[in-house]
Amino acid sequence: MSAHASHAPKRSGLWDWLTTVDHKKIAILYLIAGGLFFLAGGIEALLIRLQLMYPELSVVGAKTFNELITMHGTTMIFLAVMPVIFALMNAVVPLQIGARDVAFPFVNALGFWLFFFGGVLLNTSWFLGGAPDAGWTSYTTLALNQFSGRGIDFYVLGLQIAGLGTLIGGINFLVTIINMRAPGMTFMRMPLFTWTSFVTSGLILFAFPAITVGLVLLMFDRLFGGNFFNPDAGGNILIWQHLFWIFGHPEVYILILPAFGIISEVVSTFSKKRLFGYSSMVFATALIGFLGFMVWAHHMFTTGMGPIANTLFGLATMLIAVPTGIKIFNWLFTMWGGQIRFTTANLFAVGFIPTFTIGGMTGVMLAIPPADYQYHDSYFVVAHFHYVIVGGLVFGLFAGLYYWWPKMFGKMLNETLGKWNFWTFFVGFHLTFFPQHFLGLMGMPRRVFTYLAGQGLELGNFISTIGVFGMSIGTILFLVNVAVTAKSGKRAPADPWDGRTLEWSIPSPPPEYNFAQTPLVRGLDALWVEKMAGNKGMTPAEPLGSIHMPSGSFLPFVMSVGLFIAGFGFMYHNYVVVVIGLAINFACMLLRSLTDDPGYHIEPDEIEEKGVKA
Amino acid sequence: MGAHTHNEEVRKPKVKKESAKNHIVAFIASLVLTALAFVAVAYEVVPSGFTVPFIVGLAFVQALFQLFFWMHMDQKGHEFARISIFAGLFFVLAAVIVFVFWVWV
Amino acid sequence: MATHHVHAVLPDEPEKATLEGKNKILGFWLFLGGETVLFGSLFATFIALRDQTNGGPSSQQLFDMPLVAIATLLLLTSSLTSVFAVLAMHKKNLKQVQAWLTVTVLLGLGFLGLEIYEFMHYYHEGHKISSSAFGSAFYTLVGFHGGHVLFGILWIVTLQLAAVKKGLTVVTAPKFYVASLYWHFIDVVWVFIFTVVYLMGMIGGKVG
Repeated sequence: MSAHASHAPKRSGLWDWLTTVDHKKIAILYLIAGGLFFLAGGIEALLIRLQLMYPELSVVGAKTFNELITMHGTTMIFLAVMPVIFALMNAVVPLQIGARDVAFPFVNALGFWLFFFGGVLLNTSWFLGGAPDAGWTSYTTLALNQFSGRGIDFYVLGLQIAGLGTLIGGINFLVTIINMRAPGMTFMRMPLFTWTSFVTSGLILFAFPAITVGLVLLMFDRLFGGNFFNPDAGGNILIWQHLFWIFGHPEVYILILPAFGIISEVVSTFSKKRLFGYSSMVFATALIGFLGFMVWAHHMFTTGMGPIANTLFGLATMLIAVPTGIKIFNWLFTMWGGQIRFTTANLFAVGFIPTFTIGGMTGVMLAIPPADYQYHDSYFVVAHFHYVIVGGLVFGLFAGLYYWWPKMFGKMLNETLGKWNFWTFFVGFHLTFFPQHFLGLMGMPRRVFTYLAGQGLELGNFISTIGVFGMSIGTILFLVNVAVTAKSGKRAPADPWDGRTLEWSIPSPPPEYNFAQTPLVRGLDALWVEKMAGNKGMTPAEPLGSIHMPSGSFLPFVMSVGLFIAGFGFMYHNYVVVVIGLAINFACMLLRSLTDDPGYHIEPDEIEEKGVKA
Repeated sequence: MGAHTHNEEVRKPKVKKESAKNHIVAFIASLVLTALAFVAVAYEVVPSGFTVPFIVGLAFVQALFQLFFWMHMDQKGHEFARISIFAGLFFVLAAVIVFVFWVWV
Repeated sequence: MATHHVHAVLPDEPEKATLEGKNKILGFWLFLGGETVLFGSLFATFIALRDQTNGGPSSQQLFDMPLVAIATLLLLTSSLTSVFAVLAMHKKNLKQVQAWLTVTVLLGLGFLGLEIYEFMHYYHEGHKISSSAFGSAFYTLVGFHGGHVLFGILWIVTLQLAAVKKGLTVVTAPKFYVASLYWHFIDVVWVFIFTVVYLMGMIGGKVG
């Protein structure tokens, strides 16, 4: 009973993936699932742009258009970029801090499966009576029963389940970073990607409960006759807007901060220089995280909150430009005088800087309340947030994927295809979204399915749609690159980029225990410190010994299925199904609580290479 | 000197044996605070405009009492617990202020 | 980390003796930070909607001070008894732990019973989740808290039953400790509920 199984129970193929609690495998799961949702969201975007290519087209029609814009936004934010961020965090953060695993491997797996089934639940709406169509912000009263169909129920329950997964994922990373750092890895020696992951996880912790509450209230209104947002019975529609943006604005920083971290790592590595102004970068990250919470009502300037609220929130918003500016300059100074190598990863990072700066600048423009009355709900806003989310975040994610792909999969992505990927995506992106600034200023409202000829909107819309083809080609080239690499890519060495941080001190891909011996960290850019000291690798902080590993578990998958079933029960008012779903969920929790996981051990003779060096 | 203080910290849990008494004190304090709030409302002993700030203040005092004494937030190793709770409270306060002033517009 | 064996002598603070235990406690504190925002959002919503009775009974007509006072007393006392359970755990006395937790659970059940009685009473007075925005906000906030109490009771009972077999170890100790943190947190939330919902509701809520 108390004896440890000394070998991993052999699990193979699909069963291994369904039960894994290894952060490196969960990273790959996140990447695959996020990638699939990214393709779905991309196809939705393509259809939107086709509908808007010429005036008064009816490629998809008004109703489907509303569903497409809603699902495009929701899918991209919650189901595409969030999981890809989590993929990189899972793949990299434990390695960067010298840990063998995350703090809660089981919870990590549960977070993934909750996200996955939440996303699937949301997307089944396409086949069950229509997708949600009230916009990704799902404003009430539009999103109440009187004005919207069952699609919104899918939105509410799908996001609730996916959101729970994200929340526990965030807590897991906070504890991992606080408690699991290798000896010598002080907070101010952590790589910047770990720092930004840390702050992002903190934002997740405090922001997601607000959307949880918002979704619960909307669910009560829609399914149980609540009156939170029903003005006829004393409800108030602004409550939804506030709750949504108390979550929603931190959410954009949740998204962009990890991209800042990626850019910092990539720029520093490929300039062969230590990151300029490391401590100011850390400070700026924390400050952005904090200010990100204090600005949510700038999405609501036109609701009539009055001059005091608008001024306060406008000023707070503009303040964020200061730490962001610090970051931009620090990246530029890092490159200054460095030996710059324009690998694909670095191309994306360098392309990120001016693009994100434009997005930030339009952000400051939008932060001015009187001017916002002009921009509000126009394509100017659409252009702004795509500049920060695509031009910022997605460029950052591509940079991160090209940079860490060898570490995650043990193979080098093809650089030639990568450069084609960058240039087509980069040019396509600017073609798509740059004209939208002007379309917005000319008065084209967002979320409207067509426009009339003769109002000067034709050219901008046409260019914008052409640009989407560029981005589509870029995405396809990436997929081709992945396929080519998987088939015949060259094997990656442990340290293909002459890296500076701990993840490059171990083989690619890392063994399941990551570090045979926990490394001793002796400075910022831990591996670089050793390289400069003439050492071949990290100095171990412990003798070679038996390594304890957690066992895999099927429970996270089953628990998520339980909530998935319960979600359907709620939507169709079938309480037998609800009870069954929740019973499955609680039974799994009970089982987890009652059975102790003894784990298993990897003995020193099973560890192939001695020492932590590559 | 340094070694001595270190020793003290290691033995801290044992020193805590007296804390059953502390907890009863905290309990009585909580009871008193609660009673004060109920009395303030029931018998209108506080000037009418001041009752709400008074009882909300009592609630905060009692909450801090319980967080620090019963949940041991005062002890070493609870830095992140403090950050977590106070950051949460701070954001909640911002939300409540906005919900009081800028929901009915 | 390999110290899962049942020790003859438990360390002084068994809940923090292993890295897993420390992780669990830290993770739970962070979770409580998130819960703070969760309940805070519900409180903010309630404060915004508490006067929107839509012609139904107002809080001054509904609330009954003795009932709330008794409920408060029950929960406050249960918080104390759960502290005693942790103290007993530090003394490595499982019997006492079980006894104090049993008292805690019984007090929690008493609280829950009062709440159910109260809700049924209000329902008959025409105060429902669907009757007004005030009704929706009241039942959601207080009901969320009640749900937490119910979950806490089930959780503690589960741990108690498991401990009969497993005893007090470095694996079970963090679970007890975390459950007691959760129970205290429920009490802290109740402090704000009796203040903001009940007492402020009985004053008449002229504060804006």
